[in-house]
Amino acid sequence: MATLTTARADRAGARYKTPFFHRPWVVAMVFLLPFLVLFGVFRVYAVGYAVVLSFQDIEGIGLTEWAGLGNYRRLLTDSTFFTALRNTTLYTAGTLLVLIPVPFILAAVLQSKLVARQAMFRSALFLPVLTSLVVVGVVFSLLLTTNGLVNSFLGLFGVPAQGWLETRSLAIPAMILMATWRWTGINIIYFTTGLSNIPRELYESASVDGAGALRKFWHLSVPLSKPIILFVTVLTIFGGFQLFVEPLILWGTGGGPGQGGLSVVVHLYRTAFTSFQLGYASAIGVVLAVIIMALSLVTLKLFGFFKKEE
Amino acid sequence: MLALTARGWRQGAALIVAAGLLAATGCSGGDGGNSIADLDSAEADGGATDQQTMEADPGHEGEDVELEFWTFVDAHTDFMMARAEEFNEANSDYNIVLNASTADYEEMHDRLLIALQSGTGAPDIVDIEIQRFATFLRGEVPLHPLNDIVDNHRDQLVEERLAPYQSDGVEYGIDYHLGTWVMYYNNAILEEAGVDVDSIVTWDDYIEAGKQVVENTDAMMTSVETTDRFSVIGPMLQNGGGTYDENGEMILDSPENVEALQLISDMVHEHEIAVVSEGGMHHETAYYEAFNSGNYASVWMPQWYVTRFKDFMPETEGDILIRPMPEFEPDGFISTMGGGTGTAITTQIDEGKLDAAKQFLEFAKLTYDSQVALWTELGFDPFREDVYDDPALTEPDQWFGGEQVMTNLRDMFDRLAPEYTGPRYPEIILQLRDIVAYEVIQEGGSPQEALERAAQEIRSMD
Repeated sequence: MATLTTARADRAGARYKTPFFHRPWVVAMVFLLPFLVLFGVFRVYAVGYAVVLSFQDIEGIGLTEWAGLGNYRRLLTDSTFFTALRNTTLYTAGTLLVLIPVPFILAAVLQSKLVARQAMFRSALFLPVLTSLVVVGVVFSLLLTTNGLVNSFLGLFGVPAQGWLETRSLAIPAMILMATWRWTGINIIYFTTGLSNIPRELYESASVDGAGALRKFWHLSVPLSKPIILFVTVLTIFGGFQLFVEPLILWGTGGGPGQGGLSVVVHLYRTAFTSFQLGYASAIGVVLAVIIMALSLVTLKLFGFFKKEE
Repeated sequence: MLALTARGWRQGAALIVAAGLLAATGCSGGDGGNSIADLDSAEADGGATDQQTMEADPGHEGEDVELEFWTFVDAHTDFMMARAEEFNEANSDYNIVLNASTADYEEMHDRLLIALQSGTGAPDIVDIEIQRFATFLRGEVPLHPLNDIVDNHRDQLVEERLAPYQSDGVEYGIDYHLGTWVMYYNNAILEEAGVDVDSIVTWDDYIEAGKQVVENTDAMMTSVETTDRFSVIGPMLQNGGGTYDENGEMILDSPENVEALQLISDMVHEHEIAVVSEGGMHHETAYYEAFNSGNYASVWMPQWYVTRFKDFMPETEGDILIRPMPEFEPDGFISTMGGGTGTAITTQIDEGKLDAAKQFLEFAKLTYDSQVALWTELGFDPFREDVYDDPALTEPDQWFGGEQVMTNLRDMFDRLAPEYTGPRYPEIILQLRDIVAYEVIQEGGSPQEALERAAQEIRSMD
């Protein structure tokens, strides 16, 4: 009976084609179309157009000329761009140094039996991620004043009061402090996910072999979390180089004391909107994209991403 | 073995790279993009995007004309709404229905620029802040000339206030205030130090008084901004310098500017009567607290700063005396103008509405009554001279030592240094507030070198 039914169905399939809207590729397209249209218009087209603009000289309304490589040549001599690039690189490096090891260790501690009420701590550490950046900016500009809480805390250790928001060399540390508070929670979530996927048996057999907690952390947790560490590293590089809102809310126009807080994207934004040099701003954007891509590729290479699977 | 297989996370990482690459070329403002409080403009206190539309009043005569108005200051919306109602009562040709939107400073100006560049979506009437105005005067100016309505009142206006909104002799914007630069003294501190405010006439007198203040009280004579422009540009303009001269030449490294900046630098580094302002600028909560607690005996800022005392520094009530800036030379300038916002009509307005919009703008910004309202409703100093005899402006202000503040202000008008702007004004202001002020005031750099470097940076843009 079953054989008969299948045979009939096969014959029916041969005679009648599947209705148009039931075909797998049509269904896939229907579901993907909204994304593809939005992605095409707001990403692919916008980015493509930005590349075109980067070869143009736009100085005001109706003043558009082809500039060839002029904008890129100008970039090579733009000291403000290099200041911004230096700041952004320092910020990114700082966030990498803090936002990878600290959340990883915290995630491992939260994962271990050392901590009671793990869920509560995890939620508490995650809360800053949900806070509006504007609120964070206002709170931090109060925390970082000369008489603020940060200085009071440092004062306990005999550190003299610092002008966090008024000193060029402290602008980047101030922003790293803010980033640490804000992003530690989300990275803990990433690392916790990675750590919880490591089979328990591995830890158990390591214990049987006499490995202590530190050895297990260093020889099991760290190497087996490599994919998630790579993921968070690449995300942190993206986040770092796209630094924009933080300097803007801490210092109004985003330059900070002596341009100590100026990031590449703030420079891009000012060039585009305050100076209205859309062509030059696009060139900055293209160069920034190339830098981020290059750094990401280097990171992937360092993590052995391109090695053939063994 | 792991949840992410090697292939899986390779694909994932590749996607992230692609997404990051794309995102990098745009400004992803994130959740802050729409709500960054305006920390830059002198007048704006930020605020979320807000829309208000007037009801068309059938009781009024005249054709209904709907006008879209954009601003970044809530108080400006209230002011223009009130003027529209008065206009409709007084005018029989048109009945203005004002549709006003308030957004924060950056957002409003950015949107306007995009709308004017793309040729669609701009409002009919718009407030453009002085720091951004020059951007709109490059190339084909997308604003309607306003010479005809300005000419109707020109003999009464303080002519200098029109300069920042002109291009090739054509008027494109009308301000909300004169922004007369003054010195605010905390007389309680000066009395404690044994200084008579009215004995300070020159900057040398000011420095001497400062030394007395530092010696006899816990306060400093004044504070200087390192992350904003007001402290440095005020004395520069007053000394006949500034950003551009009347011929449109960039004069950032002029001797007048160097002299003014040297004077400020000396107050900090040589005479030690001034310090970097708490919070780096005079619009920071930390600064208001410090001034309120009596840390500084004086500050030079434009007239519109009066509202900051009343709003944020309550302890100073009755103690603040407003005086001209000390002079650089006998009979020289004793004030200048600071900040500003020009209201303009964009070229995207329907031709049929243009006449109504111009009549309304003239009524709202240039007539006698509207200029009185600038003071009574917004607390700004009007730039129409005849209104200074109005009872509303001659009234003594108890907060400011019970003096006739506005009448005293008027006495400065014939010694008021003009401010000219030019195409690179926005960038020059950024150089001053980002670099020059910091390097000279905080780090003790040479004023001459800092200004020359900044001027070089600006010249390299063209």
